[in-house]
Amino acid sequence: MNTEPALMSLTSVAKAIAEKRVSSREATQSCLDGIAQWQPRLNAFMTIEAEEVLAAADAADGALAKGNSRGVLHGVPLAHKDMYYEAGKVVTCGSKIRRDFVAKTTSTALQRLKDAGTIRLGSLQMAEFAYGPTGHNSHYGPVHNPWAVDRITGGSSSGSGSAVAARLTFAALGSDTGGSIRMPAHFCGVTGLKTTYGRISRAGAMPLSQSLDTVGPLARTVEDCALLLRLMAGADAEDPTAAAGPVPDYMAAARQPIKGLKVGVPSSFYVDDLDAEVARILDETVAALKREGAEIVQVELPDQRQLTASCQLVLAVEAAAFHKRWLIERPQDYGPQVLMRLQNGLAIPGVTYLEVMRWRGPALSAHLAAVAGVDAVIAPVAPVAAPTIAESDVGNSPDAESVIQRLTRFTRPINYLGLPSLSIPAGFTRGGLPVGMQLIGRSFDEAMLLRIGAAFQRLTDFHERVPNSA
Amino acid sequence: MTRPTVKEIKAIADIAGIAVSNEVAERIANSIGPAFEGFAAVAGTLPFDLEPATFVLVQQAIRTTHEKAAP
Repeated sequence: MNTEPALMSLTSVAKAIAEKRVSSREATQSCLDGIAQWQPRLNAFMTIEAEEVLAAADAADGALAKGNSRGVLHGVPLAHKDMYYEAGKVVTCGSKIRRDFVAKTTSTALQRLKDAGTIRLGSLQMAEFAYGPTGHNSHYGPVHNPWAVDRITGGSSSGSGSAVAARLTFAALGSDTGGSIRMPAHFCGVTGLKTTYGRISRAGAMPLSQSLDTVGPLARTVEDCALLLRLMAGADAEDPTAAAGPVPDYMAAARQPIKGLKVGVPSSFYVDDLDAEVARILDETVAALKREGAEIVQVELPDQRQLTASCQLVLAVEAAAFHKRWLIERPQDYGPQVLMRLQNGLAIPGVTYLEVMRWRGPALSAHLAAVAGVDAVIAPVAPVAAPTIAESDVGNSPDAESVIQRLTRFTRPINYLGLPSLSIPAGFTRGGLPVGMQLIGRSFDEAMLLRIGAAFQRLTDFHERVPNSA
Repeated sequence: MTRPTVKEIKAIADIAGIAVSNEVAERIANSIGPAFEGFAAVAGTLPFDLEPATFVLVQQAIRTTHEKAAP
């Protein structure tokens, strides 16, 4: 086991604090030491609340000494994407427009983690209003990838991916509307869970697209994601789209073997035009699952390009509607790329939008029929490892738009269908950049993805590798 | 369904209360146009009785199925 607290997984450090082998102050100070070292190079944090979090850590240690634990994450310091409202705190949403916005309420997801005992380390950088897939931010600067600081982190949960990878927070909330958890997980070499639409309440989370937005964690291990999902999932009176009914024991699911499970490999689209190293890592991942007893079968999925187009149309309209007042009153306060993306929604007629929404049910039915014979589908998160910040900067690189379109090809169909998808670190390029694979499941079957992902992490050490801070 | 023209985009944006220039309308047409083309095969083919809430019904049906099958 790692002796430096910040290098522990979420579940390990929570257990160590509960058993008084590590104090909350030691865990917190270890994170702060890492932040002091990395933040100037990564720009992963929006705010660092050192004094407040150390005071909270001391209070947590004091309570524990008296036998009072708040929950399974008692005294664990966490930072989250700066779009989760916390009463009394500034929540910028990565924007100039909300630079001074003070939340009056606390988001349900965040409150449930606080109820389990977490303490606030600060807040994490993100793409402006979560509307960008690279990690660029024209107001606060780009977030850098700790594996190669000239590379993108992916977005929009850019700070979450970067900070978890560099071991600056034990886990972080992200959000996924078109790939915003899975891409940073892929590019930064961490584990990220895009949940089923409706699995976790979105109350108090900044909206981008009400039909596509999902809340989920980025963490170091599948087990960590299982714990966080278990804590956050379930009905919420503040969000009528949050699904009612029992929440499965995801931790137990993650311990199950995968012998006899069927994993589907798409026959097209997700295997087309892959970078050679991503293709190699996909083959190696499939081979590892096969060695562990999974049966690998080829699946033919419906036309994914139609799903991608549908996702783009829904997202564009809903985002433009949320932002309409500011598009009229404060267009100059948006970054140029985000303004352009928001303006796209103005061109889509109401009938087209509703037609795309009407097709969602049949499209999901067709997908479920295509995967009826398998327990999950495996596919790359993106066809390439992290490009450089310079080559994906739309303002300064003539090829940037095509680079960006390529990045989001494999994530958007899943958002339109509202499916869960778990991104796991699956290997490294010869140049040392991480590559992730996504396990795509049936609606509300996160347990299956966690089961397969955890089995893969018992076989491999990609999730344990730490970028060099020297 | 084809991608909207610059003239159409200017008209729709104007109705939405946010006027855009020719240059912006042209950029929007190029940016969102491929999405219109991607959806073209579906557009105009959906049955009369289909409504958006069907998605939730499909989601719930599959959830019930695999929760019953869970150990």
